[in-house]
Amino acid sequence: MDIPVILIGTLAGAGLLLPALDIAIDTKTNRTFSAYFTSFVIAISLALVLLSATSVIPISEPVAPRLLQNDLMGLVFSIIVLSVSLMVALSSIDYMRDEPNASVYYSLLLFASLGMVILSFAADLLMIFVAWELMGIPTFILAGYRKKDLNSNEAAMKFFLLGALSTGVLLYGISILFGLTGSTNLSTVSTALSTLDAGMIPMFAFSAILLIAGLGLKLSIVPFHMWIPDAYEGAPTTVSTLLSAGTKKAGFIAAIRILAVAFPLLKLDLTISLAVIALATMTLGNLAALTQKSMTRLLAYSSIAQAGYMIVGLAVPSNLGLTGLLYHSFNHALMQGVAFLAAAMISSRFSKTSLEPYGGLSRSMPLTSFSLAVALLGLAGLPPLSGFWSKFILFTAAVDGNLIWLAFAGLLNSALSLGYYGLIVKRIYVDEPSSKEKVHEPAGFALLLLAASIIVIITGIYPAPIYDLTQKAVLAFTP
Amino acid sequence: MADYPLISIIIFLPIIAGLLTYPASKASKSGARLFALGVSIIELCLVLYTYAEILSKGTGAQYNFVEGPFAWIPAFRGIDYYVGIDGLSSPLLLISALLTVLVIVSSKDLISERQGTYYSLTLLFEGFIMGAYSSLNMILFYVFWDIMLIPIFFFIGIWGGQKRKYAAMKFLLFTFVAGVFILLAFISIYTLVPGNTFNIPELVGKIPLTLQPLLALLFFIGFGIKLPAVPFHSWLPDAQVQAPAVVAVLLAGLFKTGSYGFVRFNLGLLPDASAQFSWAFIAFGIATMFYGAIAAVVQKDIKKMIALTSISHMGFVLVGAFSGTVVGISGAIFEMFTHAASIGVMFILAGYLYEFRGTTDITVIKGLKFTSPRFATFLVLGSMAAMGLPLFSSFLAEYLVILGAVQANLIYAVIVLIPVIIVAYLLWMVRRTVMTQPEVAAKHHDIGTVQTVTLIVYFIPLLATLIVPWLLLGVTDPLAESLVRMLPQR
Repeated sequence: MDIPVILIGTLAGAGLLLPALDIAIDTKTNRTFSAYFTSFVIAISLALVLLSATSVIPISEPVAPRLLQNDLMGLVFSIIVLSVSLMVALSSIDYMRDEPNASVYYSLLLFASLGMVILSFAADLLMIFVAWELMGIPTFILAGYRKKDLNSNEAAMKFFLLGALSTGVLLYGISILFGLTGSTNLSTVSTALSTLDAGMIPMFAFSAILLIAGLGLKLSIVPFHMWIPDAYEGAPTTVSTLLSAGTKKAGFIAAIRILAVAFPLLKLDLTISLAVIALATMTLGNLAALTQKSMTRLLAYSSIAQAGYMIVGLAVPSNLGLTGLLYHSFNHALMQGVAFLAAAMISSRFSKTSLEPYGGLSRSMPLTSFSLAVALLGLAGLPPLSGFWSKFILFTAAVDGNLIWLAFAGLLNSALSLGYYGLIVKRIYVDEPSSKEKVHEPAGFALLLLAASIIVIITGIYPAPIYDLTQKAVLAFTP
Repeated sequence: MADYPLISIIIFLPIIAGLLTYPASKASKSGARLFALGVSIIELCLVLYTYAEILSKGTGAQYNFVEGPFAWIPAFRGIDYYVGIDGLSSPLLLISALLTVLVIVSSKDLISERQGTYYSLTLLFEGFIMGAYSSLNMILFYVFWDIMLIPIFFFIGIWGGQKRKYAAMKFLLFTFVAGVFILLAFISIYTLVPGNTFNIPELVGKIPLTLQPLLALLFFIGFGIKLPAVPFHSWLPDAQVQAPAVVAVLLAGLFKTGSYGFVRFNLGLLPDASAQFSWAFIAFGIATMFYGAIAAVVQKDIKKMIALTSISHMGFVLVGAFSGTVVGISGAIFEMFTHAASIGVMFILAGYLYEFRGTTDITVIKGLKFTSPRFATFLVLGSMAAMGLPLFSSFLAEYLVILGAVQANLIYAVIVLIPVIIVAYLLWMVRRTVMTQPEVAAKHHDIGTVQTVTLIVYFIPLLATLIVPWLLLGVTDPLAESLVRMLPQR
């Protein structure tokens, strides 16, 4: 059976069912019920995707009259976004415990996941657009979920306005592309583009710029990054996790599909422009992160920097670059997820988001501290954690594609990023604790973080399976 | 015994034991220490066996006990698990294993906080360093190189002195940046040299002439930071002074990946660039020597004085390695070996001194001759080793390097001045601290029997290799000859 169709059925069904169940079930048990139900549904979907990605070699087959493409690339991205959703759902059990309307929160989470999953498989510009909105609208609401919190409101407002703008810009780009080629299907578009009249090239370039700008808002690339720190800081941190680790990755799959399928056939060379964007994004992200006083803002800027590394993979038009991008998406989702969720737990325990509680944290919250340290060092690209390998592949691809300066800049940026990641690790393990008291670490939450960080370590020591999977996905994608 | 994967055992025994030490320490602290000691002694025996094997067979020029290459990421060609040791790595493994045992013994008196973590990290560090020295794959080397930063970061950050946090961050960033240059060089070699491989043996003699100068520059910056060579040296005094004495021994004695890298990568992989730019490398080496020696003269703190002496010794390594002569290269490896022991003993002594007097300020400490006679004896002996007096083989190492440098070019003879400066300030230090009258209130402290024995052990390799230099040269000379043979003939 077609995995995408099953996933749509499961996630949408569960998302619709949840508010209805809310009425049927006693409200006292309701809160944890929605959380567990959602986690269960996402876990099932994830298991299905994993099974399908590893058991058979999926043939790149169009489903649902060429709207969705059931290929390994889509499966890999589904694994990424569903893992993030699962982490978010599980951690929300504790983090969102005291918030009202739990069923709505989880229902929105399910719909956002659905949007991301559809986006992973979408092979038609219109489908991409619909999935983009399906992913976007629930996250706008989720960002403003704490309706009495002004910061949360501000985050939602900013996010919504810019999100709407990005949608508009994207749609404009799509419509021009449709006008040029007469189709919204990506493969038809690319065939039509190869025979495009030379006079129409400026028009096409214009639509390319619009598409990059529209996607770029979600990918958080410079100069479309301004909203990121405010939105991530104001939104509930679990939602920020979803935004940073999840929807951004979904944005990347859309970018891969559009840029890699539609553009190589043209005479338009995007390498240099994307390389410059990558350089600006990572440098700005890292420099800004160095000066942050709040953990969520720091992670927000680091997330911008990481998007810069990933753009390197888009800039280099080779299989290796794309593999690196895929691989880094996976690693980044996991590590950024752990880092954000650990920050969420810490800020909720100490009720402040500044860096102050991190001093001597290893004594009061050992498990969280360990997971956070692993995630941060992994994000910095310290071997043998998994983040090293994907960065290494990305920079090897850059050198391979004659962009040695970009590889050098990226590596120096890694060193720069160690400046703030290392600072947090120093605070956690070296600084004196303000109080010696143990802080309660909810078992489930801590276990989740620990499990994820152990995956980071293990896939770092033995990276072959994931590298194989991503490479296969790329090879199947570009025959 | 040859059927066992001996090198892998040497690498992973301490790593696994280190991971076990931490939970074990929850049950018993002294148990954790004894466990760590036992493991490090087993490790020393294993390393001694490999060393004896290479020495007796005279196979220092080639890789021994080779394992691999086993594909690490099969889909990515060239990243392999590939280990083996030759005449360069084998002496370094030996001195590292020996120093680890001694450090663990000495730590009993010098480390009191968070012991479980400490012994765990010490063993992990030993494993990582063994891994770095025996890697025959560049990525494997880089992985060990970078992961080593973590234990040292914590060593300095947790057990260090007043400015420990600053020193730890500075160390972390400097060494990581060094790694950036090296990784870029590795990636460039991989993509630009035909054959797509990271395996060092497969790359020997394959790197095109046009590429060598760029790579030599990258390696020079990377390993120069690590060595450290002037002008990249500023992290080392901070790190070694702030680190507790035992960790300073580990830093000075084991953490020689900089000098190792110069011989392994610059000389081994880029012979043409090394010959062409030898003057530049030697010039930096000489600058490093003079800087270290002259800056040490004015130091008031013994630890800082030793750290700067250590920098000066590293200059010898650089000059010897790039002299392009068999005696010079052999002398450079010899210098790494003796430096580890002589600087190690000095740092340990500085640690005891701090325990006795609560300070390491030369101008304050007086009359050690009277208050701590045993200790004073060792301080004099250690200084003799550090300054290269003929009682110890440090003399031989420096002599070989000078000989090699003079063979290469008579101008380099200027480096004979260095031992003179080092002798001058160390003697001055000894005169001020040992040969003076103690203050009236000074208490009588001295080292115990166990410490005396450990300190004597430091001098054994120094003495043995002076009496029978073949013990070391038998391993290093074949390697040096094979390296010289690759250099373009002048």
